[in-house]
Parts: sequence; structure tokens; C-alpha cells
Amino acid sequence: MISFGLDEDEELILETAKKFAQESLWPKIRETESARALPLDVAREAHALGLRALGIPEASGGQGLGLGLECIVEEQIAYGDAGACYGLAGPGALLCFVRELGTEEQQREILSRYTASSGSARRGAVAWSECKPADREGLRTTAERSANAWLIRGDKAFVVNGGVASEYVVLAQVDPSKGYAGLGAFVVPADAEGVQPGPRRIPLGLDAAVIADVRFEGVAVGDGCRLTGGNDFSASLGRAFARHALLVASRCVGVASRTWELTQHYCEERKAFGKPIGHFQAVAFTVADRLMDVESGRWMIWRAAAHWDKHGTPDLALIAAASAHAQEAAMRCGDDGVQLFGGAGFVRDFPVEKCFRDARQLGLMGPTVATLDQLHAEIELGVLADPATFLPTSDIQPIIL
Amino acid sequence: MTIEFELDDRQRTLRDAVHSLATTVIRPISMKMDREHKAPDDLLLNLNRMTAAMGGGVASQFTGGSTEPAGKKVKSVNRTAMIGAEEMAWGDATVILNLPGAGLGGPPVRSHGTPEQQERFFGIFKDPEVLRWGAYGLTEPGAGSDVSAIRTSCRKDGKHWVLNGSKCFITNGGKASWVATFATIDPSLGRAGHRVFVVEQGTPGFRVGKIEDKLGLRASETAELVFEDCRVPVENLLGGDERYQKDSKEGFLAAMQTFDSTRPLVGTMAVGIGRAAYEYARDHIKANYVLSRPVPRYRAITDKLARVKRRLDAARMLCWRAAWMADLGMPNSKEASMAKAAGGQAAVKACIDAIELVGADATFEDGEHALLCKWFRDIKVFDIFEGTGQIQRVVIAKRLFEGLKTF
Repeated sequence: MISFGLDEDEELILETAKKFAQESLWPKIRETESARALPLDVAREAHALGLRALGIPEASGGQGLGLGLECIVEEQIAYGDAGACYGLAGPGALLCFVRELGTEEQQREILSRYTASSGSARRGAVAWSECKPADREGLRTTAERSANAWLIRGDKAFVVNGGVASEYVVLAQVDPSKGYAGLGAFVVPADAEGVQPGPRRIPLGLDAAVIADVRFEGVAVGDGCRLTGGNDFSASLGRAFARHALLVASRCVGVASRTWELTQHYCEERKAFGKPIGHFQAVAFTVADRLMDVESGRWMIWRAAAHWDKHGTPDLALIAAASAHAQEAAMRCGDDGVQLFGGAGFVRDFPVEKCFRDARQLGLMGPTVATLDQLHAEIELGVLADPATFLPTSDIQPIIL
Repeated sequence: MTIEFELDDRQRTLRDAVHSLATTVIRPISMKMDREHKAPDDLLLNLNRMTAAMGGGVASQFTGGSTEPAGKKVKSVNRTAMIGAEEMAWGDATVILNLPGAGLGGPPVRSHGTPEQQERFFGIFKDPEVLRWGAYGLTEPGAGSDVSAIRTSCRKDGKHWVLNGSKCFITNGGKASWVATFATIDPSLGRAGHRVFVVEQGTPGFRVGKIEDKLGLRASETAELVFEDCRVPVENLLGGDERYQKDSKEGFLAAMQTFDSTRPLVGTMAVGIGRAAYEYARDHIKANYVLSRPVPRYRAITDKLARVKRRLDAARMLCWRAAWMADLGMPNSKEASMAKAAGGQAAVKACIDAIELVGADATFEDGEHALLCKWFRDIKVFDIFEGTGQIQRVVIAKRLFEGLKTF
């Protein structure tokens, strides 16, 4: 039965996240922005509330909540400050990859480090994108089998938590002759010899996120560090990207919804020609259109996530549609928001410009609209989706994880 | 309760039954209906019997009239109507508009009629072997979006009300047994002057004028109605005199409340047509690889396909949301308008793009792709009737900006 209602527990989790976003994150966005980090007390509060461990399975000491709830919480945090989705400690994107690619034992071992009392400041990272495209299909970074270890060599770009993570999931070419079918994933401890993070980069938005390039200079890891993805590595990798894409989409809806509220409020307060600008049709209709974007984006994500939770397997078409729609919603809300604020939207006295930057940046934090639409169309046309189109690749576009 | 977006068994059965009917019965005669400007009686009779057997008036399966057992805690009738209507519209939307029963005339009678009036006016639809329709008469040549500008006048004269004026674009207006007709006691009173009557076929002074020839939805009858000193018995004023206290806007409300339940439905019907066009174009592309490259490599084509699809998906969620709120008894005017606005817009775009994807062949009414051409003709009015896309945005805006009375 179609239902948009939450039960009491879910409502409570939503309210907790919303309160944190509204009272702790939002009032400090400019402070966070200039410090390029979340205030310590805010980070502590998020940890105390358990907001960053929702998706970690119970076996690893997490709350083991479904993807639907994870999406709901991500939206709320992004509604407070989208950068916090990256700036708060926790496994981040690594959770998606370890969950989908690791064995139960690997999951327990790796993820419990984040729920242990000593793990409150621990961060995870995923290294996928590369600085230069490969001259053959696949990734430039390679993992070569030596006597009793894998040797990982390559330059990764735009790694979230690069330089501050305790461990990286590195995607590398195990068999260069097999293109995307020859990929492998490895968990690399940050203190392993040969892990060389570059300087922190300055992104357009999401100021609290630490983003850096990372070089892996013949880093040696054992067999136990390889995430094999069960029987079908490519399919599992696709699931990891899909799970992550849905979380990014939820953040987009959070930003969109914040931007929309700011805009609606401004259009009510700001007067021109003797009345609030929201009382002019061109303005009011724009605000109405953007509300349709925000709400439909949220419901599409809920539908895709609820499907995954219920069936234990993703419907990639639902995910691709929801993610593309949510990203565009955020960017349209940002664009129209700044537009309706006028000159006031362009100066930094108002936060709407920050929302616009965050929205644009978020669109590059997972598969882009173009990639998602291509995947969606290929599924609809019943052609075997080519990994080169649906896995975000270094030669098509930079992808940040 | 928790979020869920899958159909229950009853809805799945309904969807599958309607889908199979649409595929095997309705689509094969769709062009014929379009040419003849009529849905065949035997089809409508069969639909009548089928849904009577399912335990409800035929129209209620699609229009959300209550067929649920009393005492059921949470209604699902509006959500179920979404499922049935999308699927039927996927087959041919004119069949829904032709369904026997009170149709759009139902909501004002339900919301404003006394129990006796409801019994009287709904009673005639009980026998599934007889085809009868109701209609909704609001629009006038000089009052479309601006409902308050209606000029059809009513004046009490003894045991009758005397109506003068004309209505246009009335769905099923020519064949309806009765029309829920809106008139005004005094145009200067604006909304407070509105009254709603049930005008029965054969009432002296009431006649059907021109039957419109249209861009699309040709199998659905669209009529002009003329009232010349039309004498309507006082018993046909919905709710009776007491319902319309001085300055009351009851008549206007009757017109508006209709829309809260019909708009998500119109939105979902639009999505059904849009989906038909989308699937048609998708399957056409699948079957027609061009040049030496597989089509999926043409980004311009895949990009268009995916955008059309997800715009429809987005609109569908807004329709479901509005219907869910209605089932839970939550006020949903804003959401109903969002559903209608998004549905109409997404589907019009879907049909325009589908024609482009299939190519010039799809622009011929007598060609291989005549159905797609027909859907393109049919869909446009979904962004117009039941409130244009612009009017939906006016409704939404009034609920977003406090103090916004009028633009």
C-alpha cells in the first residue's frame, strides 16, 4: 500500500536530526565555512546523537537502520549544512563500499572501528577518481600481485577525507586487460608505507569537507584487505555506487529544501512596487515550481530507498531517476533562489549563495545527471549497461567520494 | 505505518485487469473511437457490469467515489483510483471520461446535496444495464479560469428557479441525464452569489447547443448548454436555500471542492497518457537501430528518453502524495494542484518528445504511429481543464504567501 507516513520511532529520528540541523548546524554555517571545519561542540553533539552511525550494521555496533531512514537523516543534515554530511567524522562513503563489497567478517572488522569508543573521530575514504584518464579502458591505478601482497600504485583525485582518513577503499586495476571487468577494491590503512596525501583542495561549496588528491606509491596490502564483492564484483560495485548516489541525492533534497525556504521567506518579506515580490505572478510561479521539484525529489528518493529496504536489492532505474531529479532540483532551487534574491543573493550577507554553491558541488559528489540519465535509458532500452557509462569514470568526469 | 510505495493485492489486481483490458480491448478500437467521436455502448456496458461485480459503481473505481466498507480505519480509495486511472488513461483516456455515472457532477452533489437529493440524483446510476451520465456545468464563454465571473443567472420564481445563460466545454453535457449547473443570483456579489442546481434533461428552457470538434479527446463529448428561461424546481437547488446564507460562498465552494479530489486524478490520467507515449517511443527506438551504432550510444536520444521518464515519475509521486493525503483526510488543495500542474506539464512534454523521437511518421493521423499522434492531440487539454497549469500555480502560491488574495 502506498504510504508516505512515518511511524513513531522514525518520526523521532527525523525530528532529532532536524533539530540538530536547525539549532546546531544552520546557525553556524558561516563559522564552519571560514574555519573550513565544523565547530568541535557540533561534531561532538552529532557523535553523541549517533547520527553518523545509522547505517552501520548492528553486528558492528551501529544502529543498522535501513536505507530509507539513512536518506531521511541525510536530508535533514544537509538541510542544516550540506558540508556537515562530509565534515562530520564517520566512515562516509567507505560504509557503502565495505557493506556492498566486503565479507561479513570484513564488514564487522572494519566498521566496528567506527563505533568503538576510541573511534569517534575516525574517518573513512574512498579513492576512485583519478587525476588523468587511462589510455585504455579502466583505471590507471593498478594492484599488482607480488609474492604475498598486493602492490597498489596510482594517483587518485578529489578524495573526500584524503589526508585525514584512517583508511581508504582504493579502486584499482587488478587485470588491465579486462577493462572495467578487471577492477578490484582494497582497504588501505592511511599509515601504510607509500600513502601520500596531497594538499587540501579548495572546493566550490561544502566547505567542511576535506578533499585532497592521494598518491599510492607501491603500497603493500595483504589478501585480507581485498574486498571481493561476493560472486559478482561489478554488480556489487554498482550497488555501492547506487547506495552512495541515493545518499547524495538526499543531501541534494536537503539543500533544495533549505534554499526553497529561504527564497519563499525572502519573497514574502521583500517589497517592491508596494507589495511583497511573492505577490507577483512571475515570482510566485517560480517559487511554486521549485516546491514541486523539492517534494517530488524527496518522494522519488523515498520510493527508491523503500524498495531497496524491502527487497534487499536496488532498483537501479528508480535510483537513477530519483538521483538525477534531486540533483537538478537542488541546482534549480539554487539558481532561482539567487535570482529572486537579486543583488542580495549575489552578496554573501545572505546564505542563499552558499546553498547554490553547495548544490552545484553536490552534483559532482556522485554520478552526475548525465551519467544517471544514460544508465536509466540503458536500463529502459534493455541493453546491457556498459560499466563505462554507469560507473563514474575518470575519463568522463571527475567523481568525488 | 512506514513509508511504502508498492501496490497492495487489490490495487495490483485492479492495475493488471485494467492494463489487460486497455491492451486487448481499448487500444485496438482507440482510433475508431477517435474517428467516430464516440465510445461504443457495448464497451461501456461491459465496464459497468465488470465494476458492478467488483462491488462499486463503475466510475468509482477510477474517480474515487466511496466504495469502501464503512468503518475501515484508513481509506485507500483515492490511492486506488490513481492506479486504475493511470492504467486506463494509458489505454485511452476518453474511456474514463465516457464512464457512465455522475462523473464530475458527483462531487458537488456529494458535498452539497441533502440526503434526499443524493438518493434522487445518484439513484439513477444504480442499474448497470442502463447507460447514464451526470455532468458538471461551470465554464462559460466569458468565465473559464475566472470562475467568479460566471454570468448565467438564476432568479427565484415561486416553486422554480429561472436560469438564463449558457455553458461551454461541458464534458458529456449533451448526453447527461442531469448537469450540476452553477449560476449567480447577482454577478455583483461575486462568489457569494453563486448557486448550484441539478438541471435535468428535458427541463423546459434547457437545451444542448453545439457539440465541439476538438484537437484531441475526440471520443469524449464536449457540449455547449443553453438556458433560456429554464425553469428548475426549487428541490433541485443543492442543499436547499438554507445552505446559502447571506454572503455565504457555499456555491463557489462547491465548485472548488470538486477540484481537490479531481485534480490529482487528472494529473494521474495525464501521467498515464505520457507514459503511453514514452513507452511507445522507447520501444520504437529499441526496435530500430540506425546506422551502424546501437542507439544507446546516441546521447541526445538517451538523454531525452531518461528526462521524459523521470519527469513522469516525479509527477506520479506528487499525484500519489495528494491521494494519500486525501485518504487520510488531510487538507490537500496545495498538493492536489501540484499533482495536476506537474502531471499535465510532464505529460505534454512527454508526448512532444515522443513524436520527435519516433520521427515524421508520427505526425500523421492516418499513419503507422497514429496512436502516438492521437496521444499528442489528447494530452494538451490535461494542462488546461480542471484549472490550467497557471491556475494551479495561483492556487499553490496563495497557500505559500500569506496575505496573497489576488495577483
